Amino acid sequence: MNLVTIEHIVAVAGGIVVAVVAFYALYKDWKTPGVENNVFRLMLLLLGVGAVIALLAGLGILGNFPAKAA
Amino acid sequence: MAVASITQGGHDSHGEIDQLYIETRELRLQGFLLFLVSDCVLFSSFIFAYLYLRNSGQGWPPAGINRLDVAFAAVNSVVLFGSGATMHYALENWKHGNFMKFAWMLIFTIVLGVGFLCGQGYEYTNLIFHDHVSWWGSGIFGASFFTLTGMHGFHVFVGVCYLTVLLLQSAGGVYTKDKYFGLTAGTLYWHFVDVIWVVLFSIFYLL
Repeated sequence: MNLVTIEHIVAVAGGIVVAVVAFYALYKDWKTPGVENNVFRLMLLLLGVGAVIALLAGLGILGNFPAKAA
Repeated sequence: MAVASITQGGHDSHGEIDQLYIETRELRLQGFLLFLVSDCVLFSSFIFAYLYLRNSGQGWPPAGINRLDVAFAAVNSVVLFGSGATMHYALENWKHGNFMKFAWMLIFTIVLGVGFLCGQGYEYTNLIFHDHVSWWGSGIFGASFFTLTGMHGFHVFVGVCYLTVLLLQSAGGVYTKDKYFGLTAGTLYWHFVDVIWVVLFSIFYLL
């Protein structure tokens, strides 16, 4: 197992964990009143989206570009 | 002292200070949100300049420059996003009066923030010494990449210092269960830094 494979595995595992935690926190705080909680919800949503993007990059679905010809 | 004050719920003898806190809290929150909006405008201007320059050239990345390492950046991104999650739970634990859990979550956040900075340093080192990409000698790509990620990295560094101060202040009893605006502001700032990285990671590594 080379370093790149390990990086992909860590990105996928970490992406899943962070996305689940972010969306669960978003679900729990969904009805909390207050201006700052509205901002927190937006931030948590974007954090979850970011984790999903990192997960997809780890899976090679995003950012999987063919090698350039020399 | 902090444990004592958090369990007492902040009902100390300084009634007028409590009243002042309640009266000014919304104003301070609005001021801090305006600061974040202004920071957002700063990043947006650089991001749109980068996207404009990128689309005005022929091919991306420019000839002679390899694509950035997506796998390593994804790991580094997960580290930063993970720190956002731990920061959120740090504040939640403070609200529920769990000082020890709050402290550990905040320490995790700081460690993950430092880890992200180390990862960025490693990536810079590889780019500069291995791929020979530099801020000053690699055209639009080098200039925009190092400017935007460097500016973001500086924000992360400031955030790490900020969170360390918050940890020391909370251990010193500055905040109570009812008066913790500094912790709210710290959490907002850290989430903002995370969200900016979502955009930077997408435009530099995935487009």
